[in-house]
Amino acid sequence: MMSWKSVPVVLTMSVSLIALTACEEPKVDASIYESIEQCKRDPIVSDDQCESSFKEARSQHAAVAPKYSTAEDCQADFGAGKCEVAPYKSSSGGSIFMPLMAGYMMGSLLGGRRSMMSQPLYRSAQSPNSFRTAENRNVGSKTGRTTVAKSATSRPTFKSSTRSRGGFGSSGRRFGSGAT
Amino acid sequence: MQRISVTERPDLASAAAEHELVYIPGEGISGWDESAYYQFTARQIEKDIEGPAEEIEDLCFQVVDRAVNNEEVLGRLGIPEHYWNFIAESWRNGDKNLYGRMDLSYDGKQPIKLLEYNADTPTTLYESAVFQWEWLEQAIELKLIPEECDQLNDVHERIVETLPQLGIETLSHFACNPDIEDDKGTLNYLEECAREAGLETCFLGMEDIGLNDQGQFTDLEDRVITTLIKLYPWEWIMDEEFGQHVPSSGVRFIEPPWKAILSNKGLLPLLWGMFEGHPNLLPAFFEDDPAGTEFTGTGSYVRKPIWSRQGANIKIVQDGKTLYQSDGPYGNDAHILQGFQPLPEFDGGYPLLGCWMVASKVVGLCIREDKTLVTSKDARVVPHVILD
Repeated sequence: MMSWKSVPVVLTMSVSLIALTACEEPKVDASIYESIEQCKRDPIVSDDQCESSFKEARSQHAAVAPKYSTAEDCQADFGAGKCEVAPYKSSSGGSIFMPLMAGYMMGSLLGGRRSMMSQPLYRSAQSPNSFRTAENRNVGSKTGRTTVAKSATSRPTFKSSTRSRGGFGSSGRRFGSGAT
Repeated sequence: MQRISVTERPDLASAAAEHELVYIPGEGISGWDESAYYQFTARQIEKDIEGPAEEIEDLCFQVVDRAVNNEEVLGRLGIPEHYWNFIAESWRNGDKNLYGRMDLSYDGKQPIKLLEYNADTPTTLYESAVFQWEWLEQAIELKLIPEECDQLNDVHERIVETLPQLGIETLSHFACNPDIEDDKGTLNYLEECAREAGLETCFLGMEDIGLNDQGQFTDLEDRVITTLIKLYPWEWIMDEEFGQHVPSSGVRFIEPPWKAILSNKGLLPLLWGMFEGHPNLLPAFFEDDPAGTEFTGTGSYVRKPIWSRQGANIKIVQDGKTLYQSDGPYGNDAHILQGFQPLPEFDGGYPLLGCWMVASKVVGLCIREDKTLVTSKDARVVPHVILD
């Protein structure tokens, strides 16, 4: 097991350790915080890193958070008072709603490509104790240093609320195979 | 070109199971026949098949280049006006293509003739790329065929090599009609190739695709789709409810929109119109052209809908007599007429050569053999070897 000594400037709190536990996918080290203040209280992370990681997560939040066309739909998933208005409108001029950011997660990548990657986290109404990524991956309830499934650390994707579905497929149902 | 009977490998049921192909006791592997193989010389492969196929590809590109600027042609091909600019832009921008399969008539002696180009949603990819190669290796090992045998088959490697060159930077979505096992099988194989190439992928049914307020397509997790690798024909997409949103959706499609000109049998009269007399082309006309009427008058022709598939709705007339007619659901489209060049017969089977193109280069060959002159869903892939 490799470990780096704590150095103030270079972030070392996350050792790139992949531990394979039986019947689970590989896990990696990550750090989860509910707020910048909580992060700063952790001696392992520098204040600068707490702030820059928070900013990075925050900058992704509006794009990657799940989106809803009504506040009620959003609150059904995330709880009363846990949603906010997205910073852009729908094409019909209506508001779009998304959950509040409940925290952020930092992880280091193998191979040292970028020392830190950060993304926003959310808490659902059904399991308010756990944190979830924008891809709806459960990363547990522990704050500070923790381990999470490797796939949960991949970059979240842009989300937008789907207005309708099923507008493709009718020819397939009529004709069968589409291959030639 | 020979058709040689050969012993089948033992335990085909296991081979089928391992590759997720269907095995029917008493009949064998569905869509596959290894009781024989076709044998070509290296010269036949290089001079008669590879060279001409790549030349045909170039002729096809010239057709596309002319067609995208010609509204009359696009209308003739049945492409909705709403798509004309979208298709033209995709060609001018150089949207990359991945693969396609040219169907050729060849008897080992006469120049190959293009029967049609399955440029959008070609089938039998897995059998051609993987299963046929495994047959070759095992047949050599079991001494069923000479050890010097080779095969025109670089399909898998070229697909894996080409996928990362398409410029895809984010998640790729793979979509088809999930209820059709064959289509799903081909698409799953492509998805595996993409993963092998290091791409991030996910699968969904065409009916699962959603539309958001910005006119973008989304998946079941509301992620915006930016790259769609579809095993679903362009003509169906253009015709369906969400089709109107495609041109402004911002999606990169594989196969790209301009392929809709090649997968359309209207390609054949366009080729003949530009390159009449080319040794690898058959005469072809749109049915409602004066030249088409004249051609019908010769008494020998094949009549095909511009968008039929798997041998449906085909009529073969020779010397005024209908030799063959197949049913199907595609009879309402425009039709073309093509010169009748019967497939050669070998031991009661009629082989159709499927020449695989990846990134516009010949990379593979698959022979589909039927018991009739028209190659249908009942056709079986028969493996081939190259041996001098």
